Amino acid sequence: MKIALAGNPNSGKTTLFNAITGKTEYVGNWPGVTVEKKEAFLKTKYQISKSKVRIVDLPGAYSIAPYTGEEAITRDFVTGEKPDVIINIIDANSLERSLFFTTQLLELEIPVVIALNKQDVLKRHGDVIDSVRLGALLNCKVVETVANKGKGVRRLIEDAIEAASMKSIHTSPDLDFSIVSDEDNARQKFTGMIAQECHVSNRDTNDISLSDRLDRIVAHKWLGLPIFFLVMWAVYAFSIEGLGGFLSEYLNETVFGEIVPNAANAFFEGIDVNPLLQSLIVDGAIGGVGAVIGFLPLIMVLFFCLGLLEDSGYMSRVAVVMDRFFKKIGLSGKSIIPMIVGSGCAIPGVMATRTIEDINEKRMTTILTPFVPCGAKIPIIALFSAVFFPNASWVGPSMYLLAIVMIALGGLLLKKIFVWENTSIFLIELPEYKIPSVRHAITQMLKHAKGFIIKASTIILVMNTLVWFMQAYGWNLRPVTIQDASILASFGGIISPLLIPLGFVGWQLAAAILTGFVAKENVVATFAVLLAVASEDALYLPGGVLSGIFNPVTGYAFLAFNLFTPPCFAAIGAMNSELGSKKWLFRAIGFQLGVGYMVAMLISQIGSIIVYGETAIGFGYSIVVLVSIVFLVIRLIRKSDSNVKQVLTEAREGGI
Amino acid sequence: MMLSQAKAGHKAIIQEITGNEKLKKFLFSLGCSEGQEIGLISILAGNYIINIKDSRYAIDRKMAEIIRIN
Repeated sequence: MKIALAGNPNSGKTTLFNAITGKTEYVGNWPGVTVEKKEAFLKTKYQISKSKVRIVDLPGAYSIAPYTGEEAITRDFVTGEKPDVIINIIDANSLERSLFFTTQLLELEIPVVIALNKQDVLKRHGDVIDSVRLGALLNCKVVETVANKGKGVRRLIEDAIEAASMKSIHTSPDLDFSIVSDEDNARQKFTGMIAQECHVSNRDTNDISLSDRLDRIVAHKWLGLPIFFLVMWAVYAFSIEGLGGFLSEYLNETVFGEIVPNAANAFFEGIDVNPLLQSLIVDGAIGGVGAVIGFLPLIMVLFFCLGLLEDSGYMSRVAVVMDRFFKKIGLSGKSIIPMIVGSGCAIPGVMATRTIEDINEKRMTTILTPFVPCGAKIPIIALFSAVFFPNASWVGPSMYLLAIVMIALGGLLLKKIFVWENTSIFLIELPEYKIPSVRHAITQMLKHAKGFIIKASTIILVMNTLVWFMQAYGWNLRPVTIQDASILASFGGIISPLLIPLGFVGWQLAAAILTGFVAKENVVATFAVLLAVASEDALYLPGGVLSGIFNPVTGYAFLAFNLFTPPCFAAIGAMNSELGSKKWLFRAIGFQLGVGYMVAMLISQIGSIIVYGETAIGFGYSIVVLVSIVFLVIRLIRKSDSNVKQVLTEAREGGI
Repeated sequence: MMLSQAKAGHKAIIQEITGNEKLKKFLFSLGCSEGQEIGLISILAGNYIINIKDSRYAIDRKMAEIIRIN
C-alpha cells in the first residue's frame, strides 16, 4: 500500500513523515524545504495489518497546476503514480487557502484523508475549526493533528489505511457554476463557503502580531543586513572558533594526535607486524580518517546552530532582506535560501534552487551556491587557521565574507557574460516565528554526525588507503624510499605546474586538490597521510608540518582555491541535474574553476608583495595568466553584447 | 490605485491583477485574486508584507505594482 503526503508548503508534511516513518528528513520552518519526493516504510508501531505500507512525502504545492519545479513533482506523482490514499495535510491556520488544493485532490478519484495540522497554534490563536462539519462538507475523513508532538497521528494513519482498503472514492466537490463560469472561481467560492461554515475566529489577521513586530526589526531597511551578518557570524564563530573548535582541538591534538596513534603503534610493535602494514594502518587509515573525524564536534555544533535557526522562521525573513541586494545582480531573495542551506551541504543547497521559478535566476543560483563554504570545507578552514593563524579569530568568518563578495562579483560577471532580462518576481510566504525546538536541533545534529562518520569510514577511508598506497609505492609496485618517487608524486606532478602561478609549489598540493574533488574532507586527510611520514608532530600544531609547503599567505590562498573551485563530485552531480544541460554544466564548472584560480592567484601574489615585500613564486606566469583571463572575459562580454544588439535590431526590424 | 501606492495598515478589496497568465494563476491559488480581501501589514526593505486569507507573504515592488485595489 502506498500513502502519499500532500499539502501546501510548510504545512508539516515532512514533520509528519518523520513521525510515522522514524526517518530524519530535512525539516525547516520556511516554505519549500522539501524539493523531491521521499519514500520510507511506515513504522511497525503504526502498522495495522501485515502488509507493508509505503509513505511518500511530496514537495509542498499550493495548487495541482505547478508554478515551480518542485510542485511539478507533486502533480506528476499524484496524477501519474496513483497512490492508494492521499493524506492531505492542512495548516489549520490557513484553512481557506489550503482548501483550494484539497478540492483539487478530491477530484482525482483517489481516497483522501485530511490531517488538520498545527492544532496547538490554532488554539493559541483562540480559533476553532469544526472538523466534523468540515469532513461532512467535503465528504471525507478529517483528523486533528499536532505532527511535531505526534498527536492524532495514530488515528490519522488508521483512517488513511481504512480509506485505502475500502477504496472510498469521494464524490467530487459540488462546485457551483451558476454565478461564475470558470472552474477556478467556482472553486474559490466553494472554499470560501466551507471556511465560513467551519472556521470560528475572533481575531482579525490584519492586526499587527508579535511576528509582524519582529519582522519590522529583522527585515528593517537598514538593520536587516547587519542583523543577518551578526547571526551568521555568531553561528560560525561558535562552531569554528568557539565550542566546536575547542572540542575539535582536543580530539585532533590529544585523541587522534597522540593517544590513538601511540596506542596503535605500541600494539603493532608488540605483535611485531611488517612496518609497512603498520604504516598503512597508523598513518593511512587512522591518521587520515582521524584527521577528518577530529572535526566531528565542529560539524555537530554547526548543524545544531543551523537547526535552531531553520526552525525559528528566520530564513524567510533573510530572503526578504536580501531581495533588494540580490536584484542588483540579477537574482532575487529566493536565491539566498539555497545558499544558506548550502552552508550545511552544497547538494541540498543546489537542489533547493528548484523553488526558483525564473530559469536564469535558477541557473545563476546553482552556479553560485557552491561558493558558500559547506560543512565539508570547514575542516580545511579550521586546519589552516590553526596552523597558520593561531590566536586569530578572523580567518573563519573572513572566508564567509569572501564568499559573499565573490557571490556578488560572480553574479555581476555572469550577468555580463550571459545577458538576461530580469523578469523574476519575488514572493515568499512568511511563517509565524516560533521558539526553535532543541529536540529538532539535536535530531539534525545527530543526523549529520552520523552521515559524517559514515562518510569518513567509507569513502574517505578508501581514498586514504589509496593515497597511502600511492605515496608509499612506485610504478614498479615496490615501496619507495622517498615520496617524490611515488605513484602519487607523478600524478600530482602532472597538475602541479598549473598551480605555480598561484604560488603553490609541490605535487602534494596537487594531490590534495585532486582527492578533494571526491570529498572535500579528503584535502585534510591527504595532507595528514602525506605529512605523517615527514613528521611525528600532529598536523594541527601552530607552525606545524604544513608550513613546509605553505606560508600564511599561500595557505590562505589555498583555502580560497578550495572554496571557489568546483565542489565535490556529488555536488557537481546535483548541479548537473538542476542545470539540466551539459552545456550549462560545463559553463558552470568553467566559471567556478576560473573564479577559484583567479582569487587564489590574486591573494597569493598581491598578498606576498604586501606582507613579505617580495613576489611569490610564479609571479611572471601569473601575469601571463591574468592578462589572458582578462582578455577572455572581455571577449565573452563583447560577444554577448553584440548578440544582444543583434537581437534588438532584429526585434526592431521585425516590429516595423 | 495599485497596492504599491498604499500605506501600511491599509485594508482593501482586490480589483484586478494585471500580469501574465501563469503568475495570475499562481496568485489565484493563494487567494490573491479579484474580489478578495488584502491587507498591507508593513513595507520592509522594499518589500510589501501582505495578508491574504490569514497568511503572510512578502512580495516585491514589481508584484505590488500589478495588484490593483480600491
